[in-house]
Amino acid sequence: MNPTLARLRRLLVMVPWLLDHPGAEVEEVAERFGVTVGDVLDDLDVLGYCGLPGYGGGDLIEVTVSGGQVVLRMAEFFARPLALSVREGLALLLAARATRDSGVLPQPTAALDSAIAKLERHLGGQAGLPVVLDIEAGGQDLLSRLMPAVADQRVVRITYRSASKEETTQREVEPWALRSTRGAWYLQGHCRLAGEGRAFRLDRIRDLVVTDEAAPAPPEDQPPAPEYRPAPDDPVVVLDVDAASAWISDQVVLSDKRTLDDGRVRLTFQAATLDWAAALVTRLGAGATVVGPAELSDLVAGRARAVLATYGHA
Amino acid sequence: MVDRLERLINLVIALRETRRPLTVDAINRRVAGYEGDRDDAWRRMFERDKADLRDLGVPVRTERVDRFEETLGYRIDPDDYDLPDVSFDPAELTALALAVQLTGLGDDAAPGLDKLAVDADLPGGQRTSARLPLELGLDAPNRGRLTDALLARRRVRFVYRRPADDEGVASPRRVEPHALLHYRGRWYLRGHDRDRGAIRTFRLDRIDGPVRLTGEAGAFEIPDQVPDPRQVVPGADSEPVDATVRASDEVAWTVARRARGSGVEDGDGWRRFTLRVTDPDAFVSWALDLGPELEVVGPADLRARIIDHLRELAG
Repeated sequence: MNPTLARLRRLLVMVPWLLDHPGAEVEEVAERFGVTVGDVLDDLDVLGYCGLPGYGGGDLIEVTVSGGQVVLRMAEFFARPLALSVREGLALLLAARATRDSGVLPQPTAALDSAIAKLERHLGGQAGLPVVLDIEAGGQDLLSRLMPAVADQRVVRITYRSASKEETTQREVEPWALRSTRGAWYLQGHCRLAGEGRAFRLDRIRDLVVTDEAAPAPPEDQPPAPEYRPAPDDPVVVLDVDAASAWISDQVVLSDKRTLDDGRVRLTFQAATLDWAAALVTRLGAGATVVGPAELSDLVAGRARAVLATYGHA
Repeated sequence: MVDRLERLINLVIALRETRRPLTVDAINRRVAGYEGDRDDAWRRMFERDKADLRDLGVPVRTERVDRFEETLGYRIDPDDYDLPDVSFDPAELTALALAVQLTGLGDDAAPGLDKLAVDADLPGGQRTSARLPLELGLDAPNRGRLTDALLARRRVRFVYRRPADDEGVASPRRVEPHALLHYRGRWYLRGHDRDRGAIRTFRLDRIDGPVRLTGEAGAFEIPDQVPDPRQVVPGADSEPVDATVRASDEVAWTVARRARGSGVEDGDGWRRFTLRVTDPDAFVSWALDLGPELEVVGPADLRARIIDHLRELAG
């Protein structure tokens, strides 16, 4: 948003608050509105030039800053904050409903429930706007056990089945955050086995123990979203896919995509491991042809034969 | 030259404190920041200010100056402007603040929360953005604009890219929005596609660039029936069937989480489960992902489908 408009928006909330709190300390104002003391003084300076048309002695807003305390007078037209815009109200309602349904809050959620009811009353018919939330995400069942561990910074011990290697490992994780993205919950933290930051899908965690061991504080910077980022050494895969299988372009980080004469699409991307790529290609079946590497074709065929053996079709 | 912030504040005060709507001429004469300059520049300045104020939620009305004249003027009705007495207690405000932070909807929701918090004396520092170790990503590009379009019942235009399309090929769409759906971590727009003459579902993350609102407000009716994401999102099916699977010790735990019940012993350390399948494609993908550790026993058509699929791959 344009900085002038952001200041205006803040002032239209700050003025009613100041009228309600005569003699408030400048520092307190700055803290409450999340700005610097300098910003507050600049805003007050502008206000002193504003008022009713005529702009004479009795028309202007009276601003006094004395001994670090602020007093506003002659601003009764701004006694109330600007009404909630529908967009603000709906965003609040959406946030509140999603939080209630996500299962992240300890039950019961009385304060949130009553806030939702008040927002619905306030918004009236507009609360019924057809915005539908289905917040269920994989791994929700483990959330209630992991949340205290993340909040208290306790080391957790997990038994984890990895997607890229299809192996099950025991890991100790110093937890940083829990994040829901693309319909799945992830635990992010420092993995002692890997010796670096990792993200673990909650629905792949087989067993979970929250230990008493205190974990170091998470890094200052928010860890990046739990997504695959190709490393230089990761294998490059080339696939030809038909229209029905084209959805996989959302699942991989493409480095190239081109349409072939027969209407199929040739996709080039990197994969964390060839095993992961083989599982992907197995899911696609006849909709995809491996162009390279040859090792991947062998893996896929081997995997298909192994599964057929389970079905009694060796 | 009067500062723009000062001019905007003075415009809000003047429009709010007038009983009769102010014509543009009156605004030019009386409001600090517009006076004096009589060429087109100030008029453009005023139009931009008016649009920005409305965008901020300031309810600027356009009305006839009086019953006998055609001339239009502007005013702000204090009843529209003032936040009504809605009192949220500190516990409710704290819960809302947490919800806003958790969902990442702060751009739209945080200014609203600030307004609601004016009346309540919250302990200082409730705004300090201590990073929450939890994130439920709910924001998406164009979500706010599409909400506006739904509210006003205005048509939208956007460029849509399906995965089957080649890079660089994307189609323009003209849609009457009927609903926004959030399902399995993604936002979808449900609406009437005017070029195809049919109701369609669009994924927001496949819309290229910004959505544009076009035409008049109230241009169409929104159907009463709110769609169920499980029925309209592609890949989601509404007629569930029960499937029987066998799982090895290696993966039985993950199957147990999906199944109703913990399954029964089935020899060699394998267990047998019953699962409810609402989306056959997703189910087959899931079963294949577990590789030789899982066998789909029934229904027969799903089992046959998996075997055919694997034979094509085994070569």
